[in-house]
Amino acid sequence: MLSVQGFQKILPYMSLFWQGMLCTLSLSAFTVIFGFILALLLSLMRMSRVKLLKAIATIYVEVIRATPMMVQLFLVYYVVMAPVSLPTWKLFGFIRFERFVPGVVALSLNSGAYLSEIIRSGIQSIDIGQTEAARSLGLTQGQNMRFIILPQAIKNILPAIANEFVTIIKESSICWTVGVQEIMSAVNSVKAATYTIAEALIVASCIYFCLTFPTSKIIQYFERRMRRGDVR
Amino acid sequence: METSGNLIQVKHLKKHYNQGTIHALDDVSVDVNKGDVIAVIGPSGSGKSTLLRSLNLLEKPDEGEIIFHGIDISKKTFINKAGKKEKVNINLHREKMGMVFQHFNLFPHKTILDNMTLAPIQVKHMPKAQAEEKARTLLSRVGLGDRAEAYPIQLSGGQKQRVAIVRALMMEPEVMLFDEPTSALDPEMVGEVLEVMKELAQGGMTMVVVTHEMGFAKEVGSRVLFMADGKLLEQGTPEDIFDHPQNPRLQDFLSKVL
Ligand SMILES: Nc1ncnc2c1ncn2[C@@H]1O[C@H](COP(=O)(O)OP(=O)(O)O)[C@@H](O)[C@H]1O
Ligand SMILES: [Mg+2]
Repeated sequence: MLSVQGFQKILPYMSLFWQGMLCTLSLSAFTVIFGFILALLLSLMRMSRVKLLKAIATIYVEVIRATPMMVQLFLVYYVVMAPVSLPTWKLFGFIRFERFVPGVVALSLNSGAYLSEIIRSGIQSIDIGQTEAARSLGLTQGQNMRFIILPQAIKNILPAIANEFVTIIKESSICWTVGVQEIMSAVNSVKAATYTIAEALIVASCIYFCLTFPTSKIIQYFERRMRRGDVR
Repeated sequence: METSGNLIQVKHLKKHYNQGTIHALDDVSVDVNKGDVIAVIGPSGSGKSTLLRSLNLLEKPDEGEIIFHGIDISKKTFINKAGKKEKVNINLHREKMGMVFQHFNLFPHKTILDNMTLAPIQVKHMPKAQAEEKARTLLSRVGLGDRAEAYPIQLSGGQKQRVAIVRALMMEPEVMLFDEPTSALDPEMVGEVLEVMKELAQGGMTMVVVTHEMGFAKEVGSRVLFMADGKLLEQGTPEDIFDHPQNPRLQDFLSKVL
């Protein structure tokens, strides 16, 4: 069980946790960026008049939502990316690039599907009158999206996107199974070296909490400020 | 038929909803001539909005033609002067038709100035400075010269609708379409909007106005259309329609609204 000795035993490995945290953060940051781009594409495809694009995007989203993240990660790492030989760079001097990239890819593919649902609902929540006004002024559908719909939609869905970011931070823990050196992988290394698991897990939980809790708070703050901005 | 003054010709327009059970437009034909101020009246659900919105293809009619500048814009393609098949670019035609909506539909995330300059800059590639100058001139003309930097939420309903009108005018349209522009306004603000529309009409603008303001239709309209059940039942000068109505449906309608 938990003991002071236990914590003392894992103390020398704190730098591992620090590295794990850096890795988790980078993993999540890249995932949000690529996931968002993919999501934008998917949501536009799903609202497209071209039936084929619509079908592809719909099937993609449904498949992602209906299969476990672990399976998707293994598919990407062992099947899809296996033939690709990635350079053996080290990010921050320790994150192994050839493990990190499949992690980002799998997480992005996954969160892209969920984010696209969020974006689609955001776009559909904008009054149809906005589009009608834009189109009646001669704006193309693309210009309408870019100047009128997306700026309003994204503002509306910011809380949901933030929520997804918090989810990504937590879900990224699964990447230790393919050797990405994030927080859970630090736990695993510490366990192997010291035979201590409970204390290592407590430390990991604290780190996750410190990452996600302020993130949601910061975003809530900005959300409130933007709401206030609306009533200028 | 004399067509030189024709701006828009609507021929046998039909529009169904719900698998053909609702006839929003049932064989409507009407000409809009340059300088016309056409008031469209009729009970609610009679197809007035559908007709208006068909003119700039916000609704796609099921049958019939909408001839604008000699092109049937309700179809996907047309035969150009060189005898070649060409795609109908609806954006190009919409530019020339301004539209004003019942609920204003200003862009809430943009200032009044940006609301007005967006389309001229993006669609017509007008230089920003020129667009802003034009916008400020138009705003002063409708008494809103000092609200250029405001956001729509800071304006009253009447002010919003005046902005919506000048926003459409920024594109220098050949015809302005109004769908019940005063129906969402508090009574004390109706006058200021009608005043702007009246000035527009006096300036020679071609207008099609769906309205419940019979006084406006009478005073400003050059022609009045009466619609019921998706059909154009009667049309004529304001005197014809209001003083000598022929169709019993029109007589009944007028007895209720006047
Ligand atoms: N998008 C729609 N779907 C189904 N029915 C519609 C739609 N738009 C209009 N309608 C129907 O078409 C008829 C005409 O509507 P509309 O043109 O809005 O009438 P008005 O503007 O004269 O009140 C009404 O019966 C209305 O219910
Ligand atoms: Mg209507």
